Amino acid sequence: MSVSDLRLFEMRRPADLPDVCAVLAERVSRSEPTVLLAGGTDWLVEQETRPAFAKEAALPLVLDVSRLPALRGITLDGDRLRIGAAATYLDMRRDPAVLARAPMLERMGRDIGAIQIQARGTLGGNLATASPAADGVTALAAYDATLVVHSVRGERRIPFASLQTAYKRSTRAADEVIVAVEIDLPPAGSPWIWRKVGTRRAQSISKVALAGVAVREGDRLTRLGLGMASVAPVTALLSRVRTLATSRPLRDLTAADIDAAVDADVSPIDDIRSTRDYRAHCARSVVRAFLRDLGAPV
Amino acid sequence: MSASERTVATEGTTAAPATSHTITLTINGAKKQVEVAPWTTLLDLLRESLHLTGAKKGCDHGQCGACTVLVDGKRVNSCLTLAIVKDGAEVTTIEGLSAGDALHPLQQAFIDHDAFQCGYCTPGQICSAEGLIREKRAKTADDVRELMSGNLCRCGAYSNIVAAIEEVMGACTRERDGRGNGQGRHAVGGGRGEER
Ligand SMILES: Cc1cc2nc3c(=O)[nH]c(=O)nc-3n(C[C@H](O)[C@H](O)[C@H](O)COP(=O)(O)OP(=O)(O)OC[C@H]3O[C@@H](n4cnc5c(N)ncnc54)[C@H](O)[C@@H]3O)c2cc1C
Ligand code: FES
Ligand code: FES
Repeated sequence: MSVSDLRLFEMRRPADLPDVCAVLAERVSRSEPTVLLAGGTDWLVEQETRPAFAKEAALPLVLDVSRLPALRGITLDGDRLRIGAAATYLDMRRDPAVLARAPMLERMGRDIGAIQIQARGTLGGNLATASPAADGVTALAAYDATLVVHSVRGERRIPFASLQTAYKRSTRAADEVIVAVEIDLPPAGSPWIWRKVGTRRAQSISKVALAGVAVREGDRLTRLGLGMASVAPVTALLSRVRTLATSRPLRDLTAADIDAAVDADVSPIDDIRSTRDYRAHCARSVVRAFLRDLGAPV
Repeated sequence: MSASERTVATEGTTAAPATSHTITLTINGAKKQVEVAPWTTLLDLLRESLHLTGAKKGCDHGQCGACTVLVDGKRVNSCLTLAIVKDGAEVTTIEGLSAGDALHPLQQAFIDHDAFQCGYCTPGQICSAEGLIREKRAKTADDVRELMSGNLCRCGAYSNIVAAIEEVMGACTRERDGRGNGQGRHAVGGGRGEER
Protein backbone atom coordinates (compact mmCIF):
# COMPACT_ATOMS: atom_id res chain seq x y z
CA MET A 1 0.00 0.00 0.00
CA SER A 2 1.19 3.49 -0.60
CA VAL A 3 0.26 7.00 0.33
CA SER A 4 -1.74 7.12 -2.90
CA ASP A 5 -4.13 4.72 -1.19
CA LEU A 6 -4.70 7.00 1.79
CA ARG A 7 -7.94 6.15 3.55
CA LEU A 8 -10.87 8.51 3.28
CA PHE A 9 -10.88 11.72 5.20
CA GLU A 10 -12.39 15.16 4.90
CA MET A 11 -10.30 18.29 4.77
CA ARG A 12 -10.91 21.80 5.95
CA ARG A 13 -8.90 24.95 6.40
CA PRO A 14 -10.19 26.59 9.58
CA ALA A 15 -10.59 30.35 9.73
CA ASP A 16 -8.71 30.98 12.94
CA LEU A 17 -7.53 29.47 16.21
CA PRO A 18 -10.92 29.69 18.02
CA ASP A 19 -12.43 27.83 15.06
CA VAL A 20 -9.83 25.04 15.38
CA CYS A 21 -10.39 24.81 19.14
CA ALA A 22 -14.17 24.67 18.78
CA VAL A 23 -14.15 21.99 16.09
CA LEU A 24 -11.56 19.99 17.96
CA ALA A 25 -13.44 20.16 21.27
CA GLU A 26 -16.69 19.08 19.72
CA ARG A 27 -15.22 16.22 17.76
CA VAL A 28 -12.98 14.97 20.56
CA SER A 29 -15.98 14.91 22.91
CA ARG A 30 -17.66 12.54 20.43
CA SER A 31 -14.49 10.52 19.87
CA GLU A 32 -14.44 11.52 16.22
CA PRO A 33 -10.99 11.30 14.67
CA THR A 34 -9.55 14.73 13.97
CA VAL A 35 -6.11 15.62 12.74
CA LEU A 36 -4.31 18.95 12.65
CA LEU A 37 -2.18 18.96 9.54
CA ALA A 38 0.90 21.19 9.60
CA GLY A 39 3.72 19.99 7.32
CA GLY A 40 2.24 16.53 6.93
CA THR A 41 5.70 14.95 7.04
CA ASP A 42 4.78 12.67 9.91
CA TRP A 43 1.06 12.24 9.36
CA LEU A 44 1.07 11.33 5.68
CA VAL A 45 3.79 8.78 6.20
CA GLU A 46 1.97 7.30 9.21
CA GLN A 47 -1.17 6.61 7.19
CA GLU A 48 0.25 3.35 5.94
CA THR A 49 0.52 1.74 9.31
CA ARG A 50 -2.52 3.22 10.99
CA PRO A 51 -5.63 1.09 11.52
CA ALA A 52 -8.21 1.64 8.81
CA PHE A 53 -10.47 4.65 9.19
CA ALA A 54 -13.30 2.54 7.83
CA LYS A 55 -13.83 0.89 11.20
CA GLU A 56 -14.24 4.27 12.82
CA ALA A 57 -17.63 5.80 13.38
CA ALA A 58 -17.19 9.12 11.63
CA LEU A 59 -15.19 10.28 8.66
CA PRO A 60 -11.91 11.69 9.96
CA LEU A 61 -11.53 15.42 9.60
CA VAL A 62 -8.17 16.92 8.71
CA LEU A 63 -7.77 20.58 9.63
CA ASP A 64 -5.04 22.36 7.71
CA VAL A 65 -3.34 24.55 10.33
CA SER A 66 -0.21 25.20 8.29
CA ARG A 67 -1.15 28.77 7.45
CA LEU A 68 -2.93 29.88 10.61
CA PRO A 69 -1.35 33.21 11.58
CA ALA A 70 -1.72 32.40 15.29
CA LEU A 71 0.59 29.40 14.84
CA ARG A 72 3.19 31.07 12.65
CA GLY A 73 5.97 33.52 13.26
CA ILE A 74 9.06 33.69 15.42
CA THR A 75 9.43 36.58 17.85
CA LEU A 76 12.06 37.66 20.33
CA ASP A 77 10.91 39.69 23.32
CA GLY A 78 13.85 40.47 25.60
CA ASP A 79 15.33 37.09 26.40
CA ARG A 80 12.20 35.15 25.52
CA LEU A 81 11.99 33.49 22.14
CA ARG A 82 8.58 32.40 20.90
CA ILE A 83 8.34 30.05 17.95
CA GLY A 84 4.96 29.38 16.38
CA ALA A 85 4.02 25.71 16.32
CA ALA A 86 3.54 25.85 12.54
CA ALA A 87 6.81 27.66 11.82
CA THR A 88 9.00 25.31 9.79
CA TYR A 89 12.55 24.21 10.44
CA LEU A 90 13.57 26.30 7.44
CA ASP A 91 11.82 29.37 8.93
CA MET A 92 13.94 28.78 12.05
CA ARG A 93 17.14 28.28 10.10
CA ARG A 94 16.64 31.60 8.33
CA ASP A 95 15.39 33.65 11.30
CA PRO A 96 17.79 36.37 12.50
CA ALA A 97 16.70 36.04 16.15
CA VAL A 98 17.25 32.28 16.08
CA LEU A 99 20.63 32.70 14.40
CA ALA A 100 21.74 35.30 16.92
CA ARG A 101 20.26 33.94 20.12
CA ALA A 102 19.43 30.25 19.67
CA PRO A 103 22.06 28.95 17.23
CA MET A 104 21.61 25.40 18.51
CA LEU A 105 18.08 25.39 17.05
CA GLU A 106 19.44 26.43 13.67
CA ARG A 107 22.07 23.70 13.82
CA MET A 108 19.49 21.10 14.84
CA GLY A 109 17.19 22.20 11.99
CA ARG A 110 19.94 21.50 9.50
CA ASP A 111 19.97 17.85 10.58
CA ILE A 112 16.23 17.30 10.11
CA GLY A 113 15.74 15.12 7.03
CA ALA A 114 16.79 17.28 4.12
CA ILE A 115 15.77 20.64 2.75
CA GLN A 116 12.40 19.47 1.38
CA ILE A 117 11.46 18.14 4.84
CA GLN A 118 12.84 21.21 6.63
CA ALA A 119 10.67 23.42 4.43
CA ARG A 120 7.55 21.60 5.65
CA GLY A 121 8.18 20.04 9.05
CA THR A 122 7.23 21.98 12.19
CA LEU A 123 7.95 21.87 15.91
CA GLY A 124 4.21 21.44 16.54
CA GLY A 125 4.19 18.24 14.51
CA ASN A 126 7.43 17.03 16.05
CA LEU A 127 6.00 17.59 19.56
CA ALA A 128 2.61 16.06 18.79
CA THR A 129 4.05 12.92 17.21
CA ALA A 130 6.18 12.74 20.36
CA SER A 131 8.71 10.21 19.13
CA PRO A 132 11.65 9.76 21.53
CA ALA A 133 13.84 10.11 18.41
CA ALA A 134 12.41 13.55 17.57
CA ASP A 135 15.27 15.99 17.09
CA GLY A 136 13.26 19.19 17.53
CA VAL A 137 11.82 17.95 20.82
CA THR A 138 15.34 17.08 21.97
CA ALA A 139 16.52 20.64 21.33
CA LEU A 140 13.48 22.04 23.14
CA ALA A 141 14.24 19.79 26.12
CA ALA A 142 17.71 21.31 26.41
CA TYR A 143 16.23 24.81 26.38
CA ASP A 144 13.66 23.76 29.02
CA ALA A 145 11.06 25.21 26.69
CA THR A 146 7.43 25.85 27.61
CA LEU A 147 4.58 24.69 25.39
CA VAL A 148 1.75 27.12 24.86
CA VAL A 149 -1.46 25.22 24.15
CA HIS A 150 -4.98 26.45 23.43
CA SER A 151 -8.39 24.87 23.76
CA VAL A 152 -11.98 26.01 24.30
CA ARG A 153 -10.96 26.30 27.98
CA GLY A 154 -8.36 28.94 27.11
CA GLU A 155 -4.58 29.02 27.16
CA ARG A 156 -2.36 26.74 29.20
CA ARG A 157 1.39 26.53 29.55
CA ILE A 158 3.17 23.22 29.92
CA PRO A 159 6.79 23.31 31.12
CA PHE A 160 8.84 20.76 29.22
CA ALA A 161 9.66 18.78 32.36
CA SER A 162 5.99 17.98 32.90
CA LEU A 163 5.12 17.26 29.29
CA GLN A 164 6.14 13.72 28.48
CA THR A 165 4.74 10.86 30.54
CA ALA A 166 5.45 7.65 28.60
CA TYR A 167 6.25 6.48 25.08
CA LYS A 168 4.37 8.91 22.78
CA ARG A 169 2.20 10.04 25.73
CA SER A 170 1.98 13.52 27.12
CA THR A 171 0.04 15.72 29.50
CA ARG A 172 -1.43 17.67 26.60
CA ALA A 173 -5.14 16.95 26.24
CA ALA A 174 -6.54 15.64 22.97
CA ASP A 175 -8.41 18.88 22.32
CA GLU A 176 -5.44 21.15 23.01
CA VAL A 177 -3.75 22.78 20.02
CA ILE A 178 -0.04 23.51 20.32
CA VAL A 179 0.22 27.19 19.50
CA ALA A 180 3.86 27.96 20.21
CA VAL A 181 6.91 27.10 22.24
CA GLU A 182 8.62 29.67 24.41
CA ILE A 183 12.24 29.60 25.45
CA ASP A 184 13.93 31.67 28.14
CA LEU A 185 17.22 32.15 26.38
CA PRO A 186 20.66 32.00 27.93
CA PRO A 187 22.79 35.11 27.31
CA ALA A 188 23.96 35.58 23.70
CA GLY A 189 27.15 33.67 23.01
CA SER A 190 26.50 31.01 25.66
CA PRO A 191 27.95 27.58 24.87
CA TRP A 192 25.79 24.95 23.23
CA ILE A 193 26.04 21.60 21.54
CA TRP A 194 24.04 19.75 18.93
CA ARG A 195 25.37 16.31 18.10
CA LYS A 196 23.33 13.85 16.05
CA VAL A 197 24.61 10.33 15.57
CA GLY A 198 22.94 8.71 12.59
CA THR A 199 23.80 6.46 9.69
CA ARG A 200 24.36 9.39 7.35
CA ARG A 201 24.22 13.15 7.43
CA ALA A 202 20.83 13.62 5.81
CA GLN A 203 17.53 11.74 5.94
CA SER A 204 18.44 9.66 8.95
CA ILE A 205 16.76 9.14 12.28
CA SER A 206 18.94 9.67 15.33
CA LYS A 207 20.59 6.63 16.89
CA VAL A 208 21.44 9.12 19.62
CA ALA A 209 21.29 12.92 19.60
CA LEU A 210 22.46 15.32 22.28
CA ALA A 211 21.26 18.89 22.62
CA GLY A 212 22.87 21.07 25.27
CA VAL A 213 22.94 24.68 26.42
CA ALA A 214 25.00 26.04 29.29
CA VAL A 215 25.81 29.21 31.15
CA ARG A 216 29.25 29.26 32.71
CA GLU A 217 30.49 31.60 35.41
CA GLY A 218 34.16 31.07 36.11
CA ASP A 219 34.64 27.40 36.81
CA ARG A 220 30.97 26.68 37.47
CA LEU A 221 27.92 26.03 35.36
CA THR A 222 24.99 28.14 36.53
CA ARG A 223 22.66 26.69 33.92
CA LEU A 224 22.83 23.39 32.13
CA GLY A 225 20.06 22.16 29.90
CA LEU A 226 20.31 18.79 28.21
CA GLY A 227 18.09 16.68 25.99
CA MET A 228 18.90 13.33 24.46
CA ALA A 229 17.05 11.48 21.71
CA SER A 230 16.57 7.74 21.22
CA VAL A 231 17.89 6.53 24.57
CA ALA A 232 14.65 6.16 26.54
CA PRO A 233 10.88 5.87 25.92
CA VAL A 234 10.71 9.67 26.12
CA THR A 235 13.23 12.40 25.38
CA ALA A 236 15.85 12.06 28.13
CA LEU A 237 16.40 15.19 30.21
CA LEU A 238 19.58 13.74 31.80
CA SER A 239 18.62 15.15 35.18
CA ARG A 240 21.40 13.37 37.08
CA VAL A 241 23.99 14.76 34.71
CA ARG A 242 22.48 18.22 35.07
CA THR A 243 22.58 17.98 38.87
CA LEU A 244 26.10 16.58 38.94
CA ALA A 245 27.60 19.11 36.58
CA THR A 246 26.07 22.15 38.27
CA SER A 247 26.85 20.94 41.81
CA ARG A 248 30.62 21.40 41.74
CA PRO A 249 33.37 23.28 39.94
CA LEU A 250 33.99 21.94 36.44
CA ARG A 251 37.53 20.94 37.40
CA ASP A 252 36.14 18.53 39.98
CA LEU A 253 34.10 16.54 37.46
CA THR A 254 35.45 13.10 36.63
CA ALA A 255 34.76 10.90 33.66
CA ALA A 256 33.65 8.09 35.97
CA ASP A 257 31.08 10.29 37.72
CA ILE A 258 29.75 11.62 34.43
CA ASP A 259 29.49 8.15 32.90
CA ALA A 260 27.66 6.84 35.97
CA ALA A 261 25.19 9.72 35.83
CA VAL A 262 24.57 9.16 32.11
CA ASP A 263 24.07 5.43 32.64
CA ALA A 264 21.51 6.15 35.35
CA ASP A 265 19.72 8.70 33.16
CA VAL A 266 19.26 6.59 30.02
CA SER A 267 17.69 3.23 29.24
CA PRO A 268 18.49 2.50 25.60
CA ILE A 269 17.20 -0.52 23.72
CA ASP A 270 18.21 -2.64 20.73
CA ASP A 271 16.16 -1.81 17.67
CA ILE A 272 16.36 -1.60 13.91
CA ARG A 273 18.59 1.46 14.05
CA SER A 274 21.14 0.60 16.70
CA THR A 275 22.00 -1.46 19.74
CA ARG A 276 21.62 -0.78 23.43
CA ASP A 277 25.37 -0.96 23.98
CA TYR A 278 26.30 1.35 21.13
CA ARG A 279 23.69 3.87 22.22
CA ALA A 280 24.94 3.79 25.82
CA HIS A 281 28.49 4.26 24.56
CA CYS A 282 27.48 7.20 22.36
CA ALA A 283 25.46 8.76 25.18
CA ARG A 284 28.45 8.74 27.50
CA SER A 285 30.89 10.05 24.93
CA VAL A 286 28.78 12.93 23.65
CA VAL A 287 27.98 14.13 27.18
CA ARG A 288 31.65 13.93 28.15
CA ALA A 289 32.60 15.78 24.95
CA PHE A 290 30.24 18.65 25.81
CA LEU A 291 31.44 18.88 29.41
CA ARG A 292 35.04 18.71 28.21
CA ASP A 293 34.38 21.61 25.85
CA LEU A 294 32.95 23.49 28.81
CA GLY A 295 36.16 22.93 30.80
CA ALA A 296 35.80 19.65 32.68
CA PRO A 297 39.07 17.64 32.72
CA VAL A 298 37.45 14.60 31.09
CA MET B 1 -9.83 31.02 -4.01
CA SER B 2 -8.59 29.19 -0.99
CA ALA B 3 -9.48 25.64 -0.09
CA SER B 4 -11.31 26.84 2.99
CA GLU B 5 -13.80 28.81 0.98
CA ARG B 6 -14.68 25.90 -1.12
CA THR B 7 -14.28 22.76 0.88
CA VAL B 8 -17.41 21.00 1.71
CA ALA B 9 -19.29 21.70 4.84
CA THR B 10 -18.15 19.66 7.75
CA GLU B 11 -20.42 21.20 10.31
CA GLY B 12 -22.14 18.57 12.27
CA THR B 13 -20.03 15.59 12.68
CA THR B 14 -21.04 12.99 10.24
CA ALA B 15 -20.92 15.06 7.10
CA ALA B 16 -21.37 12.96 4.01
CA PRO B 17 -18.05 12.11 2.42
CA ALA B 18 -17.25 14.88 0.00
CA THR B 19 -15.08 12.87 -2.25
CA SER B 20 -14.20 15.50 -4.76
CA HIS B 21 -13.19 19.14 -4.72
CA THR B 22 -12.43 21.48 -7.58
CA ILE B 23 -9.13 23.26 -7.30
CA THR B 24 -7.24 25.53 -9.65
CA LEU B 25 -3.56 25.07 -10.32
CA THR B 26 -1.28 26.74 -12.80
CA ILE B 27 0.75 23.86 -14.13
CA ASN B 28 3.76 24.68 -16.30
CA GLY B 29 2.17 28.00 -17.12
CA ALA B 30 -1.31 26.73 -17.98
CA LYS B 31 -4.20 27.33 -15.62
CA LYS B 32 -6.17 24.16 -14.94
CA GLN B 33 -9.24 23.31 -12.91
CA VAL B 34 -9.00 19.82 -11.56
CA GLU B 35 -11.11 17.56 -9.41
CA VAL B 36 -9.27 16.06 -6.48
CA ALA B 37 -10.17 13.95 -3.50
CA PRO B 38 -8.93 15.36 -0.18
CA TRP B 39 -6.38 12.56 -0.06
CA THR B 40 -5.02 12.98 -3.59
CA THR B 41 -1.34 13.81 -3.44
CA LEU B 42 0.11 16.33 -5.85
CA LEU B 43 2.28 13.55 -7.27
CA ASP B 44 -0.68 11.29 -8.02
CA LEU B 45 -2.58 14.20 -9.54
CA LEU B 46 0.34 15.04 -11.83
CA ARG B 47 1.06 11.48 -12.86
CA GLU B 48 -2.32 9.76 -12.89
CA SER B 49 -4.74 12.53 -13.86
CA LEU B 50 -2.61 14.99 -15.81
CA HIS B 51 -0.26 12.41 -17.31
CA LEU B 52 2.80 14.42 -16.41
CA THR B 53 4.93 11.43 -15.59
CA GLY B 54 8.24 13.27 -15.33
CA ALA B 55 8.03 13.48 -11.54
CA LYS B 56 8.74 9.98 -10.26
CA LYS B 57 7.43 8.00 -7.34
CA GLY B 58 10.48 6.57 -5.64
CA CYS B 59 9.64 6.03 -2.00
CA ASP B 60 6.31 7.85 -1.54
CA HIS B 61 7.63 8.82 1.91
CA GLY B 62 9.60 12.03 1.45
CA GLN B 63 12.92 10.26 1.59
CA CYS B 64 14.23 10.13 -1.97
CA GLY B 65 13.27 13.38 -3.69
CA ALA B 66 12.37 11.70 -7.02
CA CYS B 67 8.99 13.44 -6.88
CA THR B 68 10.43 16.94 -6.36
CA VAL B 69 8.57 19.67 -8.24
CA LEU B 70 8.48 23.44 -7.79
CA VAL B 71 5.40 24.89 -6.09
CA ASP B 72 5.33 28.68 -6.21
CA GLY B 73 9.03 28.48 -7.05
CA LYS B 74 9.93 26.33 -4.04
CA ARG B 75 10.90 22.71 -4.26
CA VAL B 76 8.56 20.29 -2.57
CA ASN B 77 8.19 16.54 -2.32
CA SER B 78 4.95 16.14 -4.26
CA CYS B 79 4.36 12.69 -2.70
CA LEU B 80 3.93 14.32 0.73
CA THR B 81 1.83 17.21 -0.55
CA LEU B 82 -1.95 16.99 -0.63
CA ALA B 83 -3.08 18.65 -3.86
CA ILE B 84 -6.06 20.30 -2.16
CA VAL B 85 -3.74 22.24 0.16
CA LYS B 86 -2.08 23.83 -2.87
CA ASP B 87 -5.26 25.25 -4.43
CA GLY B 88 -4.26 28.36 -6.37
CA ALA B 89 -0.57 27.51 -6.55
CA GLU B 90 1.82 27.51 -9.48
CA VAL B 91 3.41 24.17 -10.15
CA THR B 92 6.44 23.60 -12.35
CA THR B 93 7.45 20.08 -13.26
CA ILE B 94 10.38 18.83 -15.30
CA GLU B 95 8.12 19.00 -18.36
CA GLY B 96 7.76 22.75 -17.84
CA LEU B 97 11.43 23.58 -17.44
CA SER B 98 12.47 23.27 -21.07
CA ALA B 99 11.24 25.79 -23.64
CA GLY B 100 9.94 23.60 -26.41
CA ASP B 101 12.85 21.61 -27.76
CA ALA B 102 15.43 23.88 -26.18
CA LEU B 103 16.79 22.21 -23.08
CA HIS B 104 16.93 24.02 -19.78
CA PRO B 105 20.58 24.81 -18.86
CA LEU B 106 20.40 22.23 -16.06
CA GLN B 107 19.17 19.55 -18.44
CA GLN B 108 22.06 20.32 -20.80
CA ALA B 109 24.55 20.36 -17.94
CA PHE B 110 23.32 16.98 -16.68
CA ILE B 111 23.95 15.55 -20.16
CA ASP B 112 27.34 17.24 -20.49
CA HIS B 113 28.48 15.99 -17.09
CA ASP B 114 27.02 12.51 -17.42
CA ALA B 115 25.08 13.25 -14.24
CA PHE B 116 22.84 10.19 -14.37
CA GLN B 117 22.85 6.54 -15.19
CA CYS B 118 19.32 5.07 -15.11
CA GLY B 119 17.78 8.54 -14.98
CA TYR B 120 15.02 7.72 -12.50
CA CYS B 121 16.11 10.35 -9.98
CA THR B 122 16.98 12.93 -12.65
CA PRO B 123 13.69 14.90 -12.98
CA GLY B 124 13.67 15.32 -9.20
CA GLN B 125 17.37 16.23 -9.14
CA ILE B 126 16.88 18.88 -11.82
CA CYS B 127 13.77 20.42 -10.26
CA SER B 128 15.52 20.43 -6.91
CA ALA B 129 18.62 22.02 -8.45
CA GLU B 130 16.46 24.68 -10.08
CA GLY B 131 14.97 25.42 -6.65
CA LEU B 132 18.44 25.55 -5.13
CA ILE B 133 19.66 28.03 -7.75
CA ARG B 134 16.60 30.22 -7.27
CA GLU B 135 17.19 30.22 -3.51
CA LYS B 136 20.67 31.70 -4.13
CA ARG B 137 22.01 30.23 -0.89
CA ALA B 138 24.54 27.74 -2.17
CA LYS B 139 28.04 29.12 -2.63
CA THR B 140 30.27 26.06 -2.50
CA ALA B 141 30.19 22.43 -3.57
CA ASP B 142 29.59 21.55 0.09
CA ASP B 143 26.56 23.84 0.15
CA VAL B 144 25.27 22.11 -2.98
CA ARG B 145 25.75 18.72 -1.35
CA GLU B 146 23.88 19.77 1.77
CA LEU B 147 21.07 21.53 -0.07
CA MET B 148 20.64 18.62 -2.49
CA SER B 149 20.73 15.98 0.25
CA GLY B 150 16.99 15.34 -0.10
CA ASN B 151 17.58 13.91 -3.57
CA LEU B 152 19.01 10.43 -3.57
CA CYS B 153 20.60 8.70 -6.54
CA ARG B 154 20.77 4.94 -6.32
CA CYS B 155 23.13 4.88 -9.29
CA GLY B 156 25.52 7.07 -7.33
CA ALA B 157 26.00 9.82 -9.89
CA TYR B 158 26.47 12.34 -7.09
CA SER B 159 29.83 13.83 -8.05
CA ASN B 160 28.65 14.49 -11.59
CA ILE B 161 25.34 15.87 -10.34
CA VAL B 162 27.21 18.34 -8.12
CA ALA B 163 29.48 19.28 -11.04
CA ALA B 164 26.49 19.88 -13.34
CA ILE B 165 24.76 22.06 -10.77
CA GLU B 166 27.94 23.96 -10.01
CA GLU B 167 28.38 24.74 -13.68
CA VAL B 168 24.92 26.26 -14.01
CA MET B 169 25.23 27.98 -10.64
CA GLY B 170 28.64 29.27 -11.72
CA ALA B 171 27.08 30.97 -14.71
CA CYS B 172 25.72 33.40 -12.10
CA THR B 173 28.42 33.29 -9.44
CA ARG B 174 31.49 31.14 -9.39
CA GLU B 175 32.51 31.68 -5.86
CA ARG B 176 34.49 28.91 -4.25
CA ASP B 177 35.77 30.26 -0.99
CA GLY B 178 36.32 26.83 0.49
CA ARG B 179 33.99 27.52 3.36
CA GLY B 180 31.59 24.72 4.01
CA ASN B 181 29.74 22.70 6.50
CA GLY B 182 31.40 19.41 5.86
CA GLN B 183 33.17 19.28 9.20
CA GLY B 184 31.01 16.59 10.66
CA ARG B 185 28.00 16.97 12.82
CA HIS B 186 29.61 17.85 16.09
CA ALA B 187 28.71 21.46 16.51
CA VAL B 188 29.66 23.37 19.62
CA GLY B 189 28.90 27.03 19.93
CA GLY B 190 29.70 29.95 22.12
CA GLY B 191 33.06 31.15 20.96
CA ARG B 192 34.36 27.73 20.01
CA GLY B 193 34.77 26.69 16.36
CA GLU B 194 31.16 27.37 15.59
CA GLU B 195 29.93 25.80 12.41
CA ARG B 196 27.81 28.04 10.27
C1 LIG C 1 12.03 11.92 4.94
C2 LIG C 1 11.77 12.37 6.36
C3 LIG C 1 12.83 12.69 7.18
C4 LIG C 1 12.62 13.08 8.50
N1 LIG C 1 13.70 13.38 9.27
C5 LIG C 1 13.51 13.73 10.55
C6 LIG C 1 14.64 14.04 11.39
O1 LIG C 1 15.80 14.00 10.95
N2 LIG C 1 14.38 14.36 12.69
C7 LIG C 1 13.13 14.42 13.19
O2 LIG C 1 12.96 14.72 14.37
N3 LIG C 1 12.04 14.16 12.42
C8 LIG C 1 12.21 13.81 11.13
N4 LIG C 1 11.12 13.52 10.35
C9 LIG C 1 9.78 13.54 10.94
C10 LIG C 1 8.99 14.84 10.74
O3 LIG C 1 9.45 15.56 9.62
C11 LIG C 1 9.07 15.76 11.96
O4 LIG C 1 8.61 15.10 13.11
C12 LIG C 1 8.26 17.07 11.77
O5 LIG C 1 8.62 17.96 12.78
C13 LIG C 1 6.76 16.84 11.80
O6 LIG C 1 6.12 18.08 11.60
P1 LIG C 1 4.89 18.25 10.60
O7 LIG C 1 4.47 19.66 10.66
O8 LIG C 1 5.24 17.73 9.25
O9 LIG C 1 3.83 17.28 11.26
P2 LIG C 1 2.43 16.73 10.66
O10 LIG C 1 2.69 15.49 9.90
O11 LIG C 1 1.68 17.82 10.00
O12 LIG C 1 1.70 16.38 12.02
C14 LIG C 1 2.15 15.33 12.85
C15 LIG C 1 1.19 15.14 14.00
O13 LIG C 1 1.19 16.29 14.82
C16 LIG C 1 -0.12 16.80 14.97
N5 LIG C 1 0.03 18.27 14.99
C17 LIG C 1 0.64 19.04 14.07
N6 LIG C 1 0.64 20.33 14.45
C18 LIG C 1 0.00 20.37 15.64
C19 LIG C 1 -0.33 21.43 16.55
N7 LIG C 1 -0.02 22.71 16.30
N8 LIG C 1 -1.00 21.11 17.69
C20 LIG C 1 -1.32 19.82 17.96
N9 LIG C 1 -1.04 18.79 17.14
C21 LIG C 1 -0.38 19.06 16.00
C22 LIG C 1 -0.87 16.28 13.78
O14 LIG C 1 -2.23 16.19 14.05
C23 LIG C 1 -0.25 14.93 13.56
O15 LIG C 1 -0.83 13.99 14.39
C24 LIG C 1 11.30 13.14 9.01
C25 LIG C 1 10.21 12.84 8.18
C26 LIG C 1 10.44 12.46 6.86
C27 LIG C 1 9.27 12.14 5.98
S1 FES D 1 8.69 9.72 -3.91
FE1 FES D 1 8.53 11.59 -2.90
S2 FES D 1 10.36 11.71 -1.81
FE2 FES D 1 10.46 9.71 -2.65
S1 FES E 1 20.58 8.02 -12.13
FE1 FES E 1 19.76 6.17 -11.41
S2 FES E 1 18.98 6.80 -9.49
FE2 FES E 1 20.07 8.51 -10.08
